[in-house]
Amino acid sequence: MNWRTEIDEIRERRRLAEACGGAEAVARHHTAGKLTVRERISSLLDAGSFREVGKLAGRGTYDKAGTLLKFEPAAYVMGIGRIDGRPVAVGGEDYTIRAGTGFGSDRRKGGQGGFIEDLAYEYRIPLVNLVDGTGGTVNTARRKGYTVVPGYGQDGFERSVDLMEVVPVVSAVMGTTAGGPSARALLCHWSIMVRGTSQIFAAGPPVVERAFGQQITKEALGGAKVAADIAGTIDNVADSEQECLAQIRRFLSYLPTNVWELPPVAARDDPAERCEEELAAIVPRSARQPYDMRRLIELIADRGSVFEIQETFGRAVITQLARMNGHVVGIIGNNPRFGGIMDYKAARKQGHFVELCDMFNIPLIFFVDLPGFMVGAESEASAMLREGVRARFIGLQVSVPVFTVIVRKCYGMAGGGAIDRRGLNFKIAWPSAEWGSLPVEGGVKAAYKREIESAPDPQQRERELEEELRQLASPLRTAEAFAVEDLIDPRETRPYLCQFIEALQPRLKTQLGPRRKGGVRP
Amino acid sequence: MARIEVKSEITGTVWKVITRPGDKVASGDTLAIVESMKMEIPVITEDGGTVKEILVKEKDPVAEGQVVAVLEE
Repeated sequence: MNWRTEIDEIRERRRLAEACGGAEAVARHHTAGKLTVRERISSLLDAGSFREVGKLAGRGTYDKAGTLLKFEPAAYVMGIGRIDGRPVAVGGEDYTIRAGTGFGSDRRKGGQGGFIEDLAYEYRIPLVNLVDGTGGTVNTARRKGYTVVPGYGQDGFERSVDLMEVVPVVSAVMGTTAGGPSARALLCHWSIMVRGTSQIFAAGPPVVERAFGQQITKEALGGAKVAADIAGTIDNVADSEQECLAQIRRFLSYLPTNVWELPPVAARDDPAERCEEELAAIVPRSARQPYDMRRLIELIADRGSVFEIQETFGRAVITQLARMNGHVVGIIGNNPRFGGIMDYKAARKQGHFVELCDMFNIPLIFFVDLPGFMVGAESEASAMLREGVRARFIGLQVSVPVFTVIVRKCYGMAGGGAIDRRGLNFKIAWPSAEWGSLPVEGGVKAAYKREIESAPDPQQRERELEEELRQLASPLRTAEAFAVEDLIDPRETRPYLCQFIEALQPRLKTQLGPRRKGGVRP
Repeated sequence: MARIEVKSEITGTVWKVITRPGDKVASGDTLAIVESMKMEIPVITEDGGTVKEILVKEKDPVAEGQVVAVLEE
């Protein structure tokens, strides 16, 4: 006597679960350019590392003798696996089964709280949500016989919120999401969607049509152009599901497993002493002309180590994870192709990125070329000032060291936000650097209005005053006063930074654990 | 033929118009330069094509998102 029959039944039921929503539903899903949740998980994880939990959950139909006639698997697949050898928790809706909606199980598997979120929390390992569910349905009322208050049942977003201060959480929008799944997608440290095949919104086209009589496609309502490029609701965009999964692996490669660990150190295969000749001439002599800040960063960071966050949103600022001599750093560079001017989108993006890096003990490097906040009626109406001050507030609450490299302009309220006032206040500058509370041009007219107007030749007087102030604005004078800690040859930037990033590592070990920040953000 | 609109990324004043109707342009080319907060901000096309129309002239004010040129693929 043994348990062979029961063991065989377990195997058979696992086999049934592998079929997802059946051959026809899977074929439809593939035709739409999408992978099944099982294919996604196996592409995401290290080969063969997926250990599924709850594969037998679902709905069985039996005959009178208790023989299983039909089995519909739960529309959620989850478990643990490894990415670059490190453990992660992963889960996602199976869209091929009733569009990924819940099935009234005893315990939720995942998707909004549920087992996999509890596991990531209890084990302190990263969580990857592969979101492909359509959210609440009025059918619930039919099934239950009554309607429910939002946030009912087993799990609200309590666990999802708890996770945000202990482990990296990544969300990928892999289909069309509305309501709850949309909200779940946003409760993460970094999110991504697939251009063309995924959309995210609070409510989809039928609800919009009912509300306003407006007809709109789901792509126009919540495709990548709106959700990522314009709104910045989702951080990154991939051109295919495979690329999306590769980006998730890449993002996690910069992050520690949880807030009690430091980010992994990569192999040091790019010499810290590397000096690039190109840096000596990358900044044009005319302060009006733009240059390629991405190229500048690429020349300084470890070769091939740069990964951009929110590339298509708030493009006046560039936010990147990268490595310096193997150590992970967060890089913030102003983009002179947009004048480097901080608008409300750039401010929001910078604040979020600073918070992300601070949470996971990633030191920050600013490459500053920042003439100031965006001015004008439009900018004021979009709460530039509030967003800008909020970014500054977040910057003043960081616990990680911040390193400032002033490449060109560093002016005003916005410029001050690139400086480590809370810490060592360590800033180095290139010969092209200039700074102040506001630029000389324009500033002179404001400060010396009476003197200029009462001069015999007002224009002449304005030019004289500008020239006098411009001479004082030489960065060498500021370096003499040790009001900037160093003025360097741009080619030395990499060795300089690498040595200090190395030297601050011991400090990072002294501040592991969750960040508890007080106060109310402006 | 696809009509491609090239927009200014920023509010400012047209400082220079670089291309003319009939010009062939490639992805990454600068069509015009907008001056904003004393900086020269290029209006760059993401797509290649033939310039069909330039909708602004030098010294014109432009708003963020305003169409500066129309290309035909």
